[in-house]
Amino acid sequence: MDLWRLLLTLAVAGSSSAFSGSEDSSEKPKFTKCRSPELETFSCHWTDGVHHGLKSPGSIQLFYIRRSTQEWTQEWKECPDYVSAGENSCYFNSSYTSIWIPYCIRLTSNGGTVDQKCFSVEEIVQPDPPIGLNWTLLNISLTGIHADIQVRWEPPPNADVQKGWIVLEYELQYKEVNESQWKMMDPVLSTSVPVYSLRLDKEYEVRVRSRQRNSEKYGEFSEVLYVTLPQMSSFACEEEFQFPWFLIIIFGIFGLTMILFLFIFSKQQRIKMLILPPVPVPKIKGIDPDLLKEGKLEEVNTILAIHDNYKPEFYNDDSWVEFIELDIDDPDEKTEGSDTDRLLSNDHEKSLNILGAKDDDSGRTSCYEPDILETDFNASDLCDGTSEVAQPQRLKGEVDLLCLDQKNQNNSPSTDAPPTIQQPSGILAKENKPRPLLISGTESTHQAAHPQLSNPSSLANIDFYAQVSDITPAGSVVLSPGQKNKAGISPCDMPPEVVSLCQANFITDNAYFCEADAKKCIAVAPHVEAESRGEPSFNQEDIYITTESLTTTAGQSGTAEQAPSSEMPVPDYTSIHIVQSPQGLVLNATALPLPDKEFLSSCGYVSTDQLNKIMP
Amino acid sequence: MDSKGWSLKGSLLLLLLPDLLLCKSVASLPICPRGAANCQVSLRDLFERAVILSHYIHNLSSEMFNEFDKRYAQGRGFITKAINSCHTSSLSTPEDKEQAQQIHHEDLLNLILSVLRSWNDPLYHLVTEVRGLQEAPDALLSRAIEIEEQNRRLLEGMEKIVGQVHPGVRENEVYSVWSGLPSLQVADEDTRLFAFYNLLHCLRRDSHKIDNYLKLLKCRIVYDSNC
Repeated sequence: MDLWRLLLTLAVAGSSSAFSGSEDSSEKPKFTKCRSPELETFSCHWTDGVHHGLKSPGSIQLFYIRRSTQEWTQEWKECPDYVSAGENSCYFNSSYTSIWIPYCIRLTSNGGTVDQKCFSVEEIVQPDPPIGLNWTLLNISLTGIHADIQVRWEPPPNADVQKGWIVLEYELQYKEVNESQWKMMDPVLSTSVPVYSLRLDKEYEVRVRSRQRNSEKYGEFSEVLYVTLPQMSSFACEEEFQFPWFLIIIFGIFGLTMILFLFIFSKQQRIKMLILPPVPVPKIKGIDPDLLKEGKLEEVNTILAIHDNYKPEFYNDDSWVEFIELDIDDPDEKTEGSDTDRLLSNDHEKSLNILGAKDDDSGRTSCYEPDILETDFNASDLCDGTSEVAQPQRLKGEVDLLCLDQKNQNNSPSTDAPPTIQQPSGILAKENKPRPLLISGTESTHQAAHPQLSNPSSLANIDFYAQVSDITPAGSVVLSPGQKNKAGISPCDMPPEVVSLCQANFITDNAYFCEADAKKCIAVAPHVEAESRGEPSFNQEDIYITTESLTTTAGQSGTAEQAPSSEMPVPDYTSIHIVQSPQGLVLNATALPLPDKEFLSSCGYVSTDQLNKIMP
Repeated sequence: MDSKGWSLKGSLLLLLLPDLLLCKSVASLPICPRGAANCQVSLRDLFERAVILSHYIHNLSSEMFNEFDKRYAQGRGFITKAINSCHTSSLSTPEDKEQAQQIHHEDLLNLILSVLRSWNDPLYHLVTEVRGLQEAPDALLSRAIEIEEQNRRLLEGMEKIVGQVHPGVRENEVYSVWSGLPSLQVADEDTRLFAFYNLLHCLRRDSHKIDNYLKLLKCRIVYDSNC
């Protein structure tokens, strides 16, 4: 261990950096470099020191020691080969070289240690330069100015790369001959590398150096390779051939453009049409817009009737005639004899039949079919809410039927039946007449009592007919106000004196009454306005109730939109909305000019008898 | 005995070599899920990956050593590294090219495994202790963590290779025990820093050793000594 302490002190006192030789001009010999070119041998070099004139160069000796298998061999051995590596060097061949083993070397001069160094062989690897540089031309650019070359070389011969003992990477540098700065490329692992963009009119120099992968120190540079690229001046001539083509194309396009513009801006419509045909405007199939402007109304109507959504709203003087529909195909209707029967019992089939049916006679759509009496507002989505006009009427009838049932239970069916009043023509809109009217069809209506009427009280205020005064955007029907409701009481419970009072005012042969008459009833029975029975949906002042209020049969509660409009004027004349039979009509709430004043009753409704007078 | 043993080994090698060559021609499959019995990543791919890993680890170790040297070891006279040995020196690894060429690749593979296993513990403690270093640069710590992880991966890869090259034989796991932890935790800063220096120096050397062995084996086994 003494030796090692000595070594320690010497090492501490010795060189500061491990491998570089110090620059100071001392006379002592120093180690300059130790290197191993292939990880199999290594050699160390030193400087001789300044020779003093007087002193003779002492014999310089190198001693080394290495540690092997956990123990240092205690003696320093002398350098085995002072010659092979040149002057002032010591060469250790492969038998003396152990990798990953620490070595220490000592330089002595005249017995005195002058320098010392410790290292491991794998740390001092600096490969030899590559050999066999050559280059090949890869390609020349189209312009004939630049070229790419591929440079190849061989690894240094003493490095055993084939067995994988050492792995090298290379760095290539090149420059123009008269330049001073070398251009460096990134290190590569392969032994060939392309060099791009060399100018054809210049000469280049190329050199390569190598290092062990993972090391930092490169070996020496290889010999310089001179690259003289072929002068390809003839390439420039080839480019000239392209000239005329280019000009021809340019002029040709220019000329064509000129001609095109001439045509476009010329006044010649024909040529213009040829070059720039007009874009066709969208046309509705089958309809000529000119026809619309100047054509006759019937023609347009027929054409437009083909399309589903069209509902002609115009009326001629003979509109009465147009809107009458003859139910020829329904013999059952006549035999039954009771409109209410039809309403209540057979409505399902009828409405189902007619729900999708079209009426082509007068151009109306299915919305205007008379028998759509289902309490299914979805069906009426196709149409406006005007179809819902029919519904309240039916419901009213149903209500009355129920009342009738009660009455029948209480009274005899025949007590209150003035048969004259009961007219098969129609469904009365009179609230005080339902009982007598319906008696004839009591039994049938009994059976036909609609199961939907589970809540007769809710139908208290329903009449058979309601005049539609407006249609809300939502599609529901807004009915014009009519006679004041008897305060939510079932019509069955109406005070009889009111009934008789109003009854007196009405023309018996009139199936309809209008608002004016209805208002009289309201005035007569002001007290009958009952408080709402908890159903705010009903406008107590209205006989005619909005559609929503009618839907309370289904449990809904609609708000009567009619509250403020109770005083809305009802037009004098209405168009026929539904034809129940040749003897009955249901009218629209649309104004119509009446051809004959004779038909004017106290209101604007026309009964069938009156109608028959005008009809031939 | 020796000749018999060698001839046996030689015959085994002769038997195995065509298999290895066959393995080389097998189309490489994607990485096998763990536990798949029939999965066969080609030997070539395994070696390629192993070499990449070992190269990477050596790079990191060199950088780490240089970093430490620059930061802590200047002027402290740690040149006496030659005195201290590494804990893996007890393993009889080949020390030059001839020895490496003479050793059979199964033995060399086992030696590699031993060295890798010997470094599991020191690397783990290195990470913890580097954290405790005064003003340790982040590069140092990150590299320590990375080296530890890559070492584990390399160990797994090597075990796979051994499973393919030398299947069936399960040798007892030989490795060197590292006992340098106390010196890493000693109170005296100089001693502690020298312990670090030594450990990092040993790490650099051993990683270079493994890298070299693997490259040699790869050329020998996969490319038939013709890289």
